[in-house]
Amino acid sequence: MNHFFLAILIIASGGALTLILQKQFTFMKAVGVLGISTGCLIGLIDALFKLFNPVSHHLSFNYLNSLSLTFQIDGLSAFFLVAIFAVSLLASIFSFHYMSKPEKSLRTAVNYLFFSLLIASMALVVTASNILAFMLSWEIMSLSSFFLVIYDYQSPENRRAGYLYFIFSHVGAMFIFAAFGLIYGYTGSLGFNITAEIPETVKILVFIFSFIGFGSKAGVFPFHIWLPHAHPAAPSHISAVMSGVMIKTGIYGILRIYTLLDLSTPLFGQIVVIAGMVSGILGIVYALGQNDLKRLLAYCSVENIGIILIGLGIGMIGVSSGNPSMAVLGFTGGLLHVLNHSIFKSLLFMGAGIVIQKTGSRSINVLGGLLKSMKITGTTFIIGSIAISGLPPFNGFVSEFFIYLGGFQGVALDKASFVLSILAIVSLAVIGGLALACFTKVVGVAFQGEPRSNAAADVDEKGPSMLLPLIILSGACLVIGVLPGVFINMAVNALSSVGLAFTPDTIEPFTKITGNISMAALIFFIFLLSVLALRTILYKGKTISRSGTWGCGFTQPTVKMQYTGTSYASFILEFFKPIAPNHEVLKSVQGRFPEKTKYSSRINDIAELHMENVIVRPVLWLFDKLRWIQHGDIHLYIGYILLAIIVLLFFV
Amino acid sequence: MIKSIILWALAILLAPFFSAVILKVKAFFGGRKGSPLLINYYTLIKLFKKGSVYSTSTTPVFKMGPIVSMAASAIILLFIPIAGQNPVISFNGDIIFILYLLGLARFFTIAAAMDTASPFEGMGAAREAYFPIICEATMFMILILFYRLSGELTLSAYLSGDQPLSLWHGAGSPLLFVIFALFIVLLTENSRVPVDDPATHLELTMIHEVMVLDHSGPDLGLIELGSFCKLFFYSTFIAGLISPFDLGHPLMNAALFGAALFVIYISVGITESVMARYRMDRVPKFVLTSFALALFATIITLEFMK
Repeated sequence: MNHFFLAILIIASGGALTLILQKQFTFMKAVGVLGISTGCLIGLIDALFKLFNPVSHHLSFNYLNSLSLTFQIDGLSAFFLVAIFAVSLLASIFSFHYMSKPEKSLRTAVNYLFFSLLIASMALVVTASNILAFMLSWEIMSLSSFFLVIYDYQSPENRRAGYLYFIFSHVGAMFIFAAFGLIYGYTGSLGFNITAEIPETVKILVFIFSFIGFGSKAGVFPFHIWLPHAHPAAPSHISAVMSGVMIKTGIYGILRIYTLLDLSTPLFGQIVVIAGMVSGILGIVYALGQNDLKRLLAYCSVENIGIILIGLGIGMIGVSSGNPSMAVLGFTGGLLHVLNHSIFKSLLFMGAGIVIQKTGSRSINVLGGLLKSMKITGTTFIIGSIAISGLPPFNGFVSEFFIYLGGFQGVALDKASFVLSILAIVSLAVIGGLALACFTKVVGVAFQGEPRSNAAADVDEKGPSMLLPLIILSGACLVIGVLPGVFINMAVNALSSVGLAFTPDTIEPFTKITGNISMAALIFFIFLLSVLALRTILYKGKTISRSGTWGCGFTQPTVKMQYTGTSYASFILEFFKPIAPNHEVLKSVQGRFPEKTKYSSRINDIAELHMENVIVRPVLWLFDKLRWIQHGDIHLYIGYILLAIIVLLFFV
Repeated sequence: MIKSIILWALAILLAPFFSAVILKVKAFFGGRKGSPLLINYYTLIKLFKKGSVYSTSTTPVFKMGPIVSMAASAIILLFIPIAGQNPVISFNGDIIFILYLLGLARFFTIAAAMDTASPFEGMGAAREAYFPIICEATMFMILILFYRLSGELTLSAYLSGDQPLSLWHGAGSPLLFVIFALFIVLLTENSRVPVDDPATHLELTMIHEVMVLDHSGPDLGLIELGSFCKLFFYSTFIAGLISPFDLGHPLMNAALFGAALFVIYISVGITESVMARYRMDRVPKFVLTSFALALFATIITLEFMK
């Protein structure tokens, strides 16, 4: 446990030092990066060690002499710590060349401070073992990430994004408070361990409250609205951390509450699977509709949270229907997908960061041909795209494979579980197909073809500290995809520490599954190399020439004729019109001397579209009616406080 | 094992021949003599002898397209039982791996098409990205039914030995729906009429053909061979289901299986001869029919089983 706090201390002091050193820009960055990455490295090694030597570690502090803050690292915490520290480590290295504006020195220093606070608070969230410690870390995490989102506060769009995020994270926190309040009300203890005394109906209520609260942090549909606004606003390495690991603390919360409540009603699993399917399909449909690179990736996080929830939900259904192999397959797949998503999503966000920094544009429709000028970025981005589409031989396939196997176990069950398993399998298949469409769109439009603007034509990819994390992350995608055994063990260790992995003999077949995946990957590579060899033989001594693309007889093609992201996606989006309405603005050509005309289109998010009518307006109306309470008279305000205390005294 | 490997090699060698059967049937309906049954071999040899011209817009990804799609097509044939024999490799969940491997091949085919900066190829790519989504949903629906019937998740548990017969016993006539759904998936995945027209010369109306416009020489040869193998894979799947009988002797089984294969390839030929290609926006509805059929079959079967 001491190593863990040492890591936190180093990370935080690295961030704090930047404020003092902000006069020397490069030195300040070096100190910040060095502090944060050293701390993360220590934390990472410590977490890995604890994951493979499953012993619980406790520590408690006294706060104000009466309230205690306790922390504990068990397998589940250690698993999330691995993801948090690994991604933060690479993100901080990435930031060295990414934060490249000496004129914004102070702002960069503040950014490093909040970045370090965010990492530290995420680590504390997943290790907190009582309500106070948890909520304290949770709030620090929300606030520090809020300040990171409004890094570029001069743009009104970013301020709006920050505001939206602020509201969502606090309404979410309110729900979590309510859930914890219910627990405290029945157990009278701040600890995270005694829940036996709570009646069943209250347990269900606690689960629903905490699902809404944690779901709004994780980005579960329809509580995801803040996500596509906030993630693009932050600098790219922050987006990588937020999307890669911060939203996973929501998943951690759901899983932790589930294991705490220890109630095997099928309802939990059903809620989680349905939420997962909805988030998954809608998330990827909206992602497909975006042309802003970072917004697209943010929506894609909603989709991946959906896949994770489908996995966890299948696991929960397995528990409630007494099918241990279904439970273990679902939970393991879901948990491994947490790790996988944190790897490829941070890879993609950092890749997007380089593209945005070098071209100055976030819209893929003005990019193109970047693979030729940015070879490493492009290649790693393609690897990340294949991995996130869940295709072999990369890591996304492994976790989805486990979830599929879990889902098929559920097909043998009855009634509701059977129907949900069918739906889960089919929606996973549809999500996979749509993800492929979405990422071939990004790769094809942004990285391939010809540059659509001057900004995309003249670029380089200088900045070794930005490329190194990309290479490491894409290597990790391949390693997990080819040799999943160790990583599956990590997930199983995490689960057995909270009593979800059952007996060793239910885990035994897993070595076989991972062995099969490795074998399949090996076969793939053997065939790939053989075909490559065949191709080399066939081309031996042949004339190979270069010429323009065949334009079907048309001799004057321009780069503007290329398919854009909008046109690529429009055919599929047509099918999803009811859930993804296309808002088009077209001034039609009229008269003999038509004016200049323009066209724009936007895929609307139905949750965002209806939020205003269903929630914002009624709430505003209600608060408008209550406005008389706020009158500015300080005496009466003190009166309110006294009154509130007296009323409370009657109840306590 | 040796027998399975020989069958696998035979499958790759014979796949071009069977595809030529379709051409022959189309020629028959058109009142022509048609090209010889070995035409595809001549084409492949011709292509393999040539050199290549690459577009200046392309990157190495363009060359990866044919390699990955050929490798994937050869691998999926390893997993499918041919003529009731056990496949070369088989493991729990292999069918999921196969479907996702085809996804990988699709990823690279699309990426290769987008690499050329040609608007036509982008158009084809967008369509290629769309229709297989529905096909995958259908395939998984069929898998759910088969899993429910056999309790296994491997192709060999559905198609090897007398397994197809037990599927027929379990499902009965609803299995006809499944076969029809699989036939639709075959037509879609392999870009046949009424989804796509492999013979057309108007780029705007094509899907798969337009995506490979810029490939030439051995690259194009690999793509062609890969698509013959892929068609053979789907045909084998259906042939296994429509010839469920075990005649006792491997040669007899092989003959029966060959006959079933001919039936499927001839059906594809007849479909192409008597139907026109659907308008592009009608295609999704046609493909969705396959999903509806598979769902229907599952519901009926489960009702029978109760």
